[in-house]
Amino acid sequence: MRTTFQEELDGLEADFQQEGSIVLRSLRGALSALESQDVELADEVIAFDDEVDARYHEIEKRIELLLARQTPVATDLRLVLGILHNNIRLERIGDQCVTIAKLTKLTSHLDTKRSLIEGFEEMGGRSEQMIQVALDSFAERDIDGARSLVELDELIDRGNRRVTQQVLALAGEPAMQEWGMRMIVVSRCIERIGDNAVDIGEQTAYVVTGEFREFTDASHPSGRKL
Amino acid sequence: MSRPPQGQSTGGTLIGVDPRSATEPKPRESQAAERPVLFDVRDLGVRYGAHVALNNVSMKIYRNQVTAFIGPSGCGKSTFIRCFNRMNDLIESARVTGRVLYHGQDLYGPDVDPVEVRKLIGMVFQKPNPFPKSIYDNVAFGPRVLGLKSELDERVERALRSAALWEEVKDRLKMNALSLSGGQQQRLCIARCLAVEPDVLLMDEPASALDPISTAAIEDLMHELRSDYTIVIVTHNMQQAGRVADMTAFFSVDIGDDGQRTGVLVEYDDTQQIFTNPADERTEGYVTGRFG
Amino acid sequence: MSAATGTAGAPSIDHKPGFDRDRLVGWIFGGFLAFSLVISFVVLGALLYDVFSKGIGELTWDFLTRPPSSLPERAGARPAILGTIYLMLLLIALTVPIGVGTAVYLEEYANRERWYNRWLEVNIQNLAGVPSIVYGILGLAFLVRGLNLGRVLLAGALILTLLVLPTVIVASREALRAVPDTIRQGAFALGATRWQVVSRQVLPAAIPGIATGSILALARAIGETAPLLLVGALAFISFNPTLLGDFTALPIQIFQWISKPQEEFRLKAAAAIIVLLALLLVLNGFAVWLRHRYQKRW
Repeated sequence: MRTTFQEELDGLEADFQQEGSIVLRSLRGALSALESQDVELADEVIAFDDEVDARYHEIEKRIELLLARQTPVATDLRLVLGILHNNIRLERIGDQCVTIAKLTKLTSHLDTKRSLIEGFEEMGGRSEQMIQVALDSFAERDIDGARSLVELDELIDRGNRRVTQQVLALAGEPAMQEWGMRMIVVSRCIERIGDNAVDIGEQTAYVVTGEFREFTDASHPSGRKL
Repeated sequence: MSRPPQGQSTGGTLIGVDPRSATEPKPRESQAAERPVLFDVRDLGVRYGAHVALNNVSMKIYRNQVTAFIGPSGCGKSTFIRCFNRMNDLIESARVTGRVLYHGQDLYGPDVDPVEVRKLIGMVFQKPNPFPKSIYDNVAFGPRVLGLKSELDERVERALRSAALWEEVKDRLKMNALSLSGGQQQRLCIARCLAVEPDVLLMDEPASALDPISTAAIEDLMHELRSDYTIVIVTHNMQQAGRVADMTAFFSVDIGDDGQRTGVLVEYDDTQQIFTNPADERTEGYVTGRFG
Repeated sequence: MSAATGTAGAPSIDHKPGFDRDRLVGWIFGGFLAFSLVISFVVLGALLYDVFSKGIGELTWDFLTRPPSSLPERAGARPAILGTIYLMLLLIALTVPIGVGTAVYLEEYANRERWYNRWLEVNIQNLAGVPSIVYGILGLAFLVRGLNLGRVLLAGALILTLLVLPTVIVASREALRAVPDTIRQGAFALGATRWQVVSRQVLPAAIPGIATGSILALARAIGETAPLLLVGALAFISFNPTLLGDFTALPIQIFQWISKPQEEFRLKAAAAIIVLLALLLVLNGFAVWLRHRYQKRW
């Protein structure tokens, strides 16, 4: 029944997952460029964002047509809306990668602090993991998997705070100040990527349960139903 | 779900990414030149006695596509579809002006035999109308009438398979066709058409008398048949047009100074265009359900 | 006048108390209908009883096989029975093709906007109401004298055909009209010619109606006396009727016997009436069988 519709839905979801891998690739490129101060790679990441944007627009267009022509309801509707929401999140993550790459370029001529770079390696790895988990849980409609993102995000947040402290500790080294400030922004980008991944996870819960519930919220740390 | 291989991120290119083709360009009416045209309607008008039912319709129907006619009641869409197989000839007071070119030949030309036209252009009606005979005799009627008596059994089976009905009726071909359910009867009528191996299938609101499951079955069938036939449907359910049609034509009613109601073609475009961004405000009003 | 019962505020659904004029009128009407029914049955029953009680005794093999005679004990109805049967067969052979054919033309082929078709339609309906004696006079003038056929069985059959034809046409038209137009549309849409549509779909579906209508019309004709009298059915022939010879029929015979003074002939007449009724029963039975055989559900 409704084979065309089912094919469209499956195709849409496949496109979304593919967009996810593209974005992951972009992230890896950005982190690698950051760690090795590789300007060429950074340029590639920036150029590659066009690909991410193209996918983003394509998915939006597909969703528009799907809603107009197939009038999905119930689970189908939630799935489509979930993908619509996550599509934006992925695009944002892509933008964060670009920002990281741009900062890499800006600071390529500056000295670095090994400890901070190692911190980013860890944080970056975490964020990659989070995106993977988010995409996988969405594909499998795994709410528990999605929930686990909260803990992972906590680790990134801690990492972010550590970076801030370490940069403040650099106050005594004026030559490092510019680099330090830039790295705070980089840290912020990675932290934002983590938040976006959690958002993707929340959509998994929405698609399955039909309720939108934030996993954690600043004002209600135990989770608040909206 | 397959993922492309993880990219090697050693100082260089993001390899392994296939630059997928950008979104297929959505063909606009003006860009549709490369699609083969099956019917070319030129300035078609239909009147019943003094009443002008349809006026000034020009459009092209493309091969192997599903084209839908939508619009409010009285807009002439059923009248229009009946022009394609000369069924309006059966109404005494009907007069058709203009031309309908089929493979370049005018269906209303002086040398054209309506009977021959109907052998190539079949029709399925709103209310399923199986003959009061057995299932077999229903499907075999067309071939028999056309003199195709050889391999009748194979023809019947082929037609019933194409209409996705064979499995359900293969053991009871001699049963009265009226014992089938509504959805099955309609598929039987489709099989009946297919048995004469037409070029085109016209469907006048084929699912409006059916329940949602049967409707979905018919819609899936249309999707399958599209590769071998050209399908034109009239539907008052615009969501159905959204689901099945490649091209959609929106008709509306023009009220003349004398109060006469005449059907006109308002907009004809790719279905996705009609349902996401119609050009005419009347189309917009109709598909959003605001009026009409 | 509303007496609220039960919960306060809920509308009352009990019988309204007091005198209800409308209900009374309904009762009276129903009573009148029942009364009419009883009257019909009583009258019919009385007639049948009268006929059967008088005639059943006379219904012997001799009665059926002997020619009439002036002596009541030797009188039989053979020529009359044969005459009636021959008339029936001729009638079927003539009215069905012509009547059904005309109906098919008018319903399936004729363009209703043409004046001659409308004229034809109106006239057929008028003809159905013409008294049978007029047909008798027509037959006498044109067939017996005009065509010089003489007072023969064929003339009788022809005149009865004319009498019955309008009814057959009307009945056949109704039967054809009863075939849903969607059947025709479906057949046309498959590329059938008009003749194929009519012969393969419409006529087969209309057979029950056509058969019933035709046979009822025939049954009426079998009982006709006046036109046959005028066209020359003789009450007294001792030989079997032939196509172009003198003839008689059961109604004539019955009429003649009733007019005789002897009481025994009255009994013979009653017996002949039973035979006539039996023939009618056979005809109707045939109609029921035909209808049953071709009956399809829509």
